[in-house]
Amino acid sequence: MTGATETGVVRGRASTAKTVAAAAVGLSALLFALALAAGFELLSLTGRLAGVPTIPLLGGLLVTLGAAVIAFGAGSRLELVETDPSRSAGLVAGTLFTGIWFVVTGLVASQTLGLGTVGWLAAASLGGAAAFAVTALPREDVGSTVPAGALAGSVGLVMLTGGIGPDWSWSPAGFSDAQSVTVFPRVVIPIAVAFCALVVGWAAAKAYGGFGARGRHLGAYLLIYLNAGSIIAVLFVLVAFVFAKGIDPVMAGVTVGLGVGPTTTLAVDLVIPFADVRLFGLSYDVVWPVSWPFVMNGASILNDVNGVWPAIVGTIWLVVGAVALAVPLGVGSAIFLTEYAERGRFTQVVEVATNALWSTPSIVFGLFGAAFLLPRFTPTPKKSLLAGMITLGFMLLPLVLITAREAMLSVPDEYRDASAALGVSKWQTVRSVVLPAAMPGVVTGVILGVGRIAGETAPLILTMGGGTFVTVDQAASVVDSFQLTLSPPFVTNPELTQATTALPYQLYQLILANVGQSSGIENMDTFRWGTALVLLVVVLSFYAIGIATRQYFRRKLDYE
Amino acid sequence: MGTTDDATDWQRHANRRLATAREFVAETETDALAAGLVGVLGLLGGFVGFLVTSQYTSVAVAAFLAAVGYGWVRHRELTARAVTLAMTVSTSLILVLILAFIVLEALPALRYESGELLGVSVPGLRMFTGTDWNPATNPKRFSMLPMIHGTVLVTIVATLVAGPLGVAAALFLSEIAPPRVREFVKPGVEILAGIPSIVYGFLGFAILGPWVSDQFDLVGQGTYLFVGIVVGLMALPTVVSVAEDAIDSVPESMKSGSLAMGTTDWQTMTAITIPAAFSGVSAAVLLGVGRAIGETMAATVMLRNEPTIAEPLYNVFYGFETLTSVIANKYGSATGLQESALFVAGIVLFVSVLALSIGSQLIEAHMHRKLGGSE
Amino acid sequence: MSNARHDAATDGSTDTGTATDTGTDVDTGTDADDDTDGHTATGRQHGTTTTGETDERIRAEWTDYEFAGDVALSVEDLDVYYGDEQALRGVSLDVPAESVTALIGPSGCGKSTFLRCLNRMNDRISSARVEGSVELDGEEIYQDAADLVALRKRVGMVFQSPNPFPKSIRDNVSYGPRKHGDVDTGLLSRLLGRDDEETEAELVERCLRNAALWDEVNDRLDDNALGLSGGQQQRLCIARCLAVDPDVILMDEPASALDPIATAKIEDLIEDLAEEYTVVVVTHNMQQAARISDQTAVFLTGGRLVEYDDTDKIFENPESQRVEDYVTGKFG
Ligand SMILES: Nc1ncnc2c1ncn2[C@@H]1O[C@H](COP(=O)(O)OP(=O)(O)OP(=O)(O)O)[C@@H](O)[C@H]1O
Ligand SMILES: [Mg+2]
Repeated sequence: MTGATETGVVRGRASTAKTVAAAAVGLSALLFALALAAGFELLSLTGRLAGVPTIPLLGGLLVTLGAAVIAFGAGSRLELVETDPSRSAGLVAGTLFTGIWFVVTGLVASQTLGLGTVGWLAAASLGGAAAFAVTALPREDVGSTVPAGALAGSVGLVMLTGGIGPDWSWSPAGFSDAQSVTVFPRVVIPIAVAFCALVVGWAAAKAYGGFGARGRHLGAYLLIYLNAGSIIAVLFVLVAFVFAKGIDPVMAGVTVGLGVGPTTTLAVDLVIPFADVRLFGLSYDVVWPVSWPFVMNGASILNDVNGVWPAIVGTIWLVVGAVALAVPLGVGSAIFLTEYAERGRFTQVVEVATNALWSTPSIVFGLFGAAFLLPRFTPTPKKSLLAGMITLGFMLLPLVLITAREAMLSVPDEYRDASAALGVSKWQTVRSVVLPAAMPGVVTGVILGVGRIAGETAPLILTMGGGTFVTVDQAASVVDSFQLTLSPPFVTNPELTQATTALPYQLYQLILANVGQSSGIENMDTFRWGTALVLLVVVLSFYAIGIATRQYFRRKLDYE
Repeated sequence: MGTTDDATDWQRHANRRLATAREFVAETETDALAAGLVGVLGLLGGFVGFLVTSQYTSVAVAAFLAAVGYGWVRHRELTARAVTLAMTVSTSLILVLILAFIVLEALPALRYESGELLGVSVPGLRMFTGTDWNPATNPKRFSMLPMIHGTVLVTIVATLVAGPLGVAAALFLSEIAPPRVREFVKPGVEILAGIPSIVYGFLGFAILGPWVSDQFDLVGQGTYLFVGIVVGLMALPTVVSVAEDAIDSVPESMKSGSLAMGTTDWQTMTAITIPAAFSGVSAAVLLGVGRAIGETMAATVMLRNEPTIAEPLYNVFYGFETLTSVIANKYGSATGLQESALFVAGIVLFVSVLALSIGSQLIEAHMHRKLGGSE
Repeated sequence: MSNARHDAATDGSTDTGTATDTGTDVDTGTDADDDTDGHTATGRQHGTTTTGETDERIRAEWTDYEFAGDVALSVEDLDVYYGDEQALRGVSLDVPAESVTALIGPSGCGKSTFLRCLNRMNDRISSARVEGSVELDGEEIYQDAADLVALRKRVGMVFQSPNPFPKSIRDNVSYGPRKHGDVDTGLLSRLLGRDDEETEAELVERCLRNAALWDEVNDRLDDNALGLSGGQQQRLCIARCLAVDPDVILMDEPASALDPIATAKIEDLIEDLAEEYTVVVVTHNMQQAARISDQTAVFLTGGRLVEYDDTDKIFENPESQRVEDYVTGKFG
């Protein structure tokens, strides 16, 4: 049989050379971690690590690492190591190394050697060209190891020989004093070490895979996994940091027990409109068994612990108002587009318009709200809760429309046909077949959209306003304030046309405000962190619920 | 095609429309027509009344509601159709209204800053030729260039962060991650999108800003570089989710076809998947750019809020103002011409993001046509 | 990346001896009944099967085919599950080298599934689980150290529906060799003047000729392959597969989208290929199987291999009543 004896389908065993490559990958990882530690000032650059001054130690490690990869590449070229390299490392690697070496030689020539523009440009071009030649012309094993190893080696040498010591600093020439920048080792060393570790780690991973298709695969996967890991790490650090900073102020003074909390009055009043005759009244006081000052209080000199209750109320009303506006409009439009309209010019235009609306910046919605709504609710333009609600409703609308439409489109046509075959009218079909089937998608979309607008600040600056420190009795009490009148417009509600605050807006105001003493807020900083935490928890709960709902419905569909 | 042809074409079209309309009127019962008329008039009246702040707005709205209520009881099918149509039209109208109102408000500043170009007076020209923003001096100057410069720098940095990392993460999610890892990373990316921008801004303002000033020995606090990085992080989820959709829509048969020839997963991704999804992926990056341009709060609280141009132009270590931050900062305190100038900034923002959005939609449509032909 | 599990070593030899001549029942009749019920329950359509299939036991010697040449692929006791549903049940067969092996059977009996096991394409399907053993030239392919890339280079595949890449015709054919570094026409090597354009051109022409497509496309090699007709696309996929020069070629109904003339060309091609390659081909067309194959394996409902023998034997004098019914068109 042809070619029966050539390559087997089983990968070769680990060899010593492979162990070297694996060790180089490991060392890169270690250096990357050390660079991160130095960047976050967990590792002192002026101090010692394992008895050796840190900077020369890092330099030495870099040199070792560079030498190891170059040695591997050379070994492979001399056929001492069994690999499967391509003819060249390729254009992409060539371009990247050209860029890196262009910058490195350019910086050295202009800043260290002090060459003029022509001089450093020439030097940099030379460096870049050399890097390109070394990368792209020889076989892949040399081309992908030597430029990487040389980079790590030279950076390492500079650090090892004290070229960049603890006292080194550099200010790029040509920056005015008012806009000057100085780079210190505490910045440049972590960045340089991390970067070299990445580049060499990639080269070492390629070497581990024996270059060729498999080597490239491993090198690329290393970087992609690292990227995904970093994104998750950043997310985790962000959320954890806000929690760590905010948890103390938020939890201050929490007590649980019968009768410790604030009192809520549940009241029913039956009043004849316009006549001020009270027919029937009933009221009952409920005392909450929890006292959570940060959440339940406002800001006031009299409070032990100041809180953000008015902002929470404001956010709740904003969400309610926006949902009341956007959900019917969005779902209705989605119904028309999917069920009634024929696909054509009109639906296309609407689609483009909704997508454009979806990507319109929030501050532009703010401007629009300010120009379109504010002058129309009160005789003189005034920021108000109602304007905020409607503006956020406009922002929520495209999201609801898009998700509702997607959900409806994914309802199989058989359902509709089956219903239509029974002689049921279109609207009945929509109501009893399409909407229920699309409901999970719509609900998920609305929840995620609400999460988005609940954290929105920019439009509120322009449309809703509100103070920095808000007392409890300034919290919007919308339900109690509806008034019926005999002349148009018949229904008014002063609370709706008044400025009030909301969580994200309040955080913004707190960032702007420098002094909180007058409102009894002694430590502005903890109050800010507390507010940020409450906002984060509120918004992320919407997201968590939305994602969980979606997962739940997906599972259910999968098992059906 | 001659113009006369076009005219007759158009006429025929109009005639056909008219005929359909006549047919509709003839076929529909009188009370339904009347209710429809009342409804339309009520809606229009309500809208006009709202625009002119008439107190009779609510009357018109009530008339509309009454017509709908009547229709709902007597002619449910027709009413459902009409009401959902009205909803669709009003939704699309919002975009037009946005443009109309910000242009209207921007007119005074545009007129004030007119400049001569080839002997013609172009409104607002001086806002894009001068470099001064100065509402206090005489003459007042409202140049957009400092803000445009800031927005461009921030957007470039943000795109450099969100583009490559976002596309790599999208590849990871749709092609590489084992199902269990994906289940964990995907919601993570979404939650990243959920963190309110003001929280990012606050972290940038309270932690990152002082740290950066200290590290680089800067005068004051606020850099385009780090605003760009933060904004890039915020635009990342948009890029990831749109790019992931695009990569997912490459048919499995294409990928298996490549893998069955003994290529590695990475070769399949670079040679088949990414080229096939290229337009979708670039649409994702464009949308990410749009997000970065429009991002407000992080820029507002992290920047210095002085409309000046950094020197030298590439000095990303000093951050002054962007189109979004200038609006958020100055609206409220600004009056008259300056307030109007803020609306000009709004127009610049709105139009550039609109162009990006439409551009990315065209690209995406192109991709669907292309892949659709292959199945 | 894959969820496929393989317990080759344990399952391989303990359950059922493969070369037993004792005529022990591998499966019991009740098992077969269970299948029928199971499928009815999942709502799969197989009307004629229930009425047409006689209830009979599968005997081990029916699938015990002996031949003289080398063994290219040796399959032992292969079970495949999609989630909870079992698609292949205890399939064992040896594929002789440099010959054409046809797989026939009613729709849904697991022919494609079986074929995908031979180059581990089932690893792409996350719900699929493979148990059993497949050896290529004596090497187990279901083991942790198996190199899927090397395996698939040696075991090429033509899919049931044509799946050309959205590239030019030329690039489609030279895709495999380029990726394997055998042909280099990248920008860089072109700049350096060391590209293999001639080698590539020769390769493309040879493969397209072999796949009976050259005459139709030689004047438009740079056109997008998606612009070809379905039948042309399928032949392009065959050419693409040949370009990698595998040892084994798996073909899943390669002629299902072709007209009689193109079909005849493909059939000739398959017969030619068998001089150098090992070909395993799935087909729904009995005449085709009879014409082109050296041996035929018959799968029947439930994912079982019922009979495997010389093609002549299967079509003229099968052991199993059900196979006879199937090849004479009584059901299936
Ligand atoms: N990706 C998959 N996921 C779940 N079940 C599958 C999958 N592919 C195949 N099956 C199931 O496995 C069984 C065998 O399918 P297979 O495609 O192997 O049949 P086949 O013999 O090739 O049929 P045909 O002649 O119609 O191509 C069928 O019951 C099918 O439903
Ligand atoms: Mg099949």
